[in-house]
Formats: sequence, structure tokens, C-alpha cells
Amino acid sequence: MAVSPVLRLDGVSFSYGAVPALAAVSFAIAAGERVALVGRNGAGKSTLVRLVAGLERPDEGAVWVGDWDTRDCVPEQLARRIGSMFQHADQQLFASTVRDDVSFGPRALGVEEREVERRTDHALEDLDLTSHAAHHPYDLPPAFRKLAALAGALALEPTLLVLDEPTVGLDRALRARVTRALLARSAAGVALLVITHDLTFAAESLQRVLVLDRGRLACDERLAGLVGDASRLEPLGLVPPPVAALSAALDLPGRPVRGAEVARELARVARGRLAP
Amino acid sequence: MKSLTLDHTSFWYPATASPALRDVSLDVAQGEIVALVGALGAGASTLLLVAADLAPRVIGGRLAGAVARRDRSGIVLPTPWTQTSGMAFTVWDEVAFGPANLGWPTHEIARQVDRALERLELVPLASRDPVTLSGGELQRVIIAAILAMDPGLVLFDEPAAELDGEGARTLWRLIRLLAKDGKAVLLATSALDALPDVADRVVWLENGAVRAVGTPDLLADVVVCDAGLGTSVATVWRAGGLPEPYPLTVADAVQRWR
Repeated sequence: MAVSPVLRLDGVSFSYGAVPALAAVSFAIAAGERVALVGRNGAGKSTLVRLVAGLERPDEGAVWVGDWDTRDCVPEQLARRIGSMFQHADQQLFASTVRDDVSFGPRALGVEEREVERRTDHALEDLDLTSHAAHHPYDLPPAFRKLAALAGALALEPTLLVLDEPTVGLDRALRARVTRALLARSAAGVALLVITHDLTFAAESLQRVLVLDRGRLACDERLAGLVGDASRLEPLGLVPPPVAALSAALDLPGRPVRGAEVARELARVARGRLAP
Repeated sequence: MKSLTLDHTSFWYPATASPALRDVSLDVAQGEIVALVGALGAGASTLLLVAADLAPRVIGGRLAGAVARRDRSGIVLPTPWTQTSGMAFTVWDEVAFGPANLGWPTHEIARQVDRALERLELVPLASRDPVTLSGGELQRVIIAAILAMDPGLVLFDEPAAELDGEGARTLWRLIRLLAKDGKAVLLATSALDALPDVADRVVWLENGAVRAVGTPDLLADVVVCDAGLGTSVATVWRAGGLPEPYPLTVADAVQRWR
């Protein structure tokens, strides 16, 4: 039996008045899939996220979240299946503690209180925020507020996480925290759709890539193949991440693009060269 | 000629006991690009606020030591959407807001605005309402708005955060051009891989203090890599257990691999 996708876009077009933003975009995402959505500034990425979250309705085509057509849903209903984090999420916190902010979503969905507590604890732990739970969000640096916003999306325990630039403003250590949390959720079956300009982060965290180019879907393929190929990234306005470029330049076996795999291959090949 | 000099500068935010900057001595010369790197909370943003004369003058707090500024400065904050005037309905007018407030003659305002829009590749967006722009487009508008005021010292806090790969590359090239024009540039960034091609000097901040200063080669140093501040190539080289010195860039690595 075919498993129905977590998200499906069927020929979706959308315009802001006379300004077209998306044209005939179609794709589907299965449970547990980790998908990057990339493209130039203004390519339509954030618009696509707004359509998926039900904040906009397609002019043409349909957005399906599981078996729900977003045209028949209000965003509050979609929040039962989608956890979203929008651009500048660090400015969208409003509760007086990080904990209250993270638990707001599941509580608003009417989840039973003990379950709200469990989900909140779990989300805070996933992002190492437990020690900040009692802090006022605006007493924390913006990067930690961003993690708190992400924890709020995790606490919904949705089938799909839609994240708009989750790593902007984070340093390498915090980006690694986000990667770890997202891999754990995906292993538990959550699908990820992540807008990012950060191809280094994408290579570490995600497996498939959708490229939007002036509102059209220009590519839909394995991420490792695209990020390792400078000649194809260039025309899309993308720059290869250094680790993938290194892997390609040294022609490492299997052309890995994740840091740990590249380090392992470097070590293996270097040892082989030293061997008699 | 020094554009900015900090001499044993410490700074405390209002109502805090421990300083956000500790005994920092640093200068930036005209035509020089200095990059501040460090973990979150290390003090890079604070240092830029002090350099811009916003801390403590505008945000309060207390300063010790001396800060000498030779040039008018302009700062690009990491949050472009908080830096718009809110009073302009076109990108052109937004970029003209700063120069107009400097009381320049109209033709000079127009010259500077047109030049800044061209440099940031914003001419096609000149008549758009700033509120309709994407994050990356708005970041470029704010940078144009600062450059249109022709500051001698340009301060950037995470200027590439909202930009796509190509936009970031264009920005780094522009920053090199600014330095070539004789402007002093001080920037804070977590885009460590961009720095070998951009920065003349790199300053590593830790807990508000200067831990080390050097050329971008500093970003391939063992201790810096261990602190999570090495370039991606140096970091992966170290993780693979390959010998020092670590390569800074892909090109360095290719040379060492031969």
C-alpha cells in the first residue's frame, strides 16, 4: 500500500497582486524525509512556506497536508500537523518565560496538560534549552530566542516541520544543536522542509533539495549530488559549501559532503598513501 | 591613518556587574578590513556598538578607557527590518533618508543614493515599497542606506546573514571595494569561510576580551579550530587527524594534498 505523502503541492501558482511569486510548483514529501528549499533572495521560498502553513491560499493548484486541502483549513487547524518557524522568529516570542512560550502551541491545540509538559520538556532538552526554561525570552541573546522558537515548533509534535532560515544568526555550535535535534525528529518520522541559504548546514542535516528559481521549481534531487557540483550551483545563484568543494577538489571516494564523512575519507586516503 | 582606536576599553551594559568588553585595545586604519570573530556573546556586537558611538551614548551603560574616532561612522545592524526609517514608500527614498538628514544639497543626495543603489544591485528595486522586499533584499537596502551617507568608518554586524550565496559574494566584493576607496571597515561575522578572501586582520574575542589578533591564517590555528572558529576546511582537516599546519581554504588543501 502506498503511503500518502505528508505534504503535496499540485501545480501551485501564487501572485502578490500583479507580482507573480510561484508558478506551477509540484512536489511531494514523505514521512521522515529531510528536504532543503533553496534559491535566490526573492525566488519565492518564503511565499511557499506561507502557502504550506495556510497563511495564503494558492491562486491555482492545491496544497495538501496529508489528506487536508489547505483551502478548506484555517492555520490553527494546520498547526495540528505542521510546526512552522518563520523568518525572524526570534522576534515572535511573547510569553514571559521560555517554557511558557514553548508550551503555548500544544496548549492552544487543547493537548492534555501532562502531555503538554512532556512535549515541552522533550523540545527543550532536544535543543539544550532546559537551563534557560525559566528565563524571559528577551533576556536571552537573539540566537537563543531563535532556538526557543524552534523548540515551540518541535513541541507541537507535528508530522511536518517547516522552517524558514533556522540557522541565521547562530554560530557553529548552535547550528550543530539544530542539526542534532532535526535528525532525531526525522528519525522518529517527522518530515522536514527547511528554507536555507546555508548549504553547509543543509549538507549536514538534509538529504533532498528543491531549488526555486524565479517562482519555478528548477531542481528536485539528492542534495549531496547538487552541493558537490559547482558548475550546476553557479547558475542557480548558489555557492558550493567549502567541505563539499574540498571533497570534489580532492576527488575523495564517494564524494562525501558532510564534515564527519569528509574527515573520515581524508584520514583513510592519507593512511593508504603512507602504507608501504 | 587610524580611523578608529580603542585604548584599554571596557564597557558595561546598564544594570550589569560584569563588563561585556574587557580592556580591549584595537585600531582600524583607513583602507583596512578588520573582522571580529568569536562565540556568541563574546562581545563582537558590543564592540561595534561602542565603535559606532551608540554605546553608551544611546543605549546607556558605562565605558572605561578611551575611544578615538577620526571619521563619521555608519553601522549596519544584524536585523535589517529594525533599521528602516519607516517613513519611506520607495527603496530610493529609504536610501535617501540618511543623506537627507545630514542636510546635504539635493543633487549630492541623489548622486550618493544612485551610486549606493548601483553598488548593491538595487536599481531594479528602486521604486518598490521596502515592506514588500524579501529579507535579503532589505538587508541590501540597509547597506545601501548606510553607504549613501558616505561614512569613513563602516561597521557591519553579520552583514551576510540574510543573503543568498551569490548575494553574500557580491557583498564581500563590495566590502573589499570600500576598503580600496580608503574606508575603514570593522565587521563581525560568523561566515568564517569568507574571511580569508576579505579580511586584512582577524580579531578573536572571548568573554569580551581580545584573545588573539592575526592575519586570516589565524582561522587555521589549532586552538582556534578547537574553539569552533576555524574555517570549514581547517576544521575538517583537523577532524581527519591530518598533520599541521592546517590548510585555510580549499586551494590550500589541494596544494597540501599533492
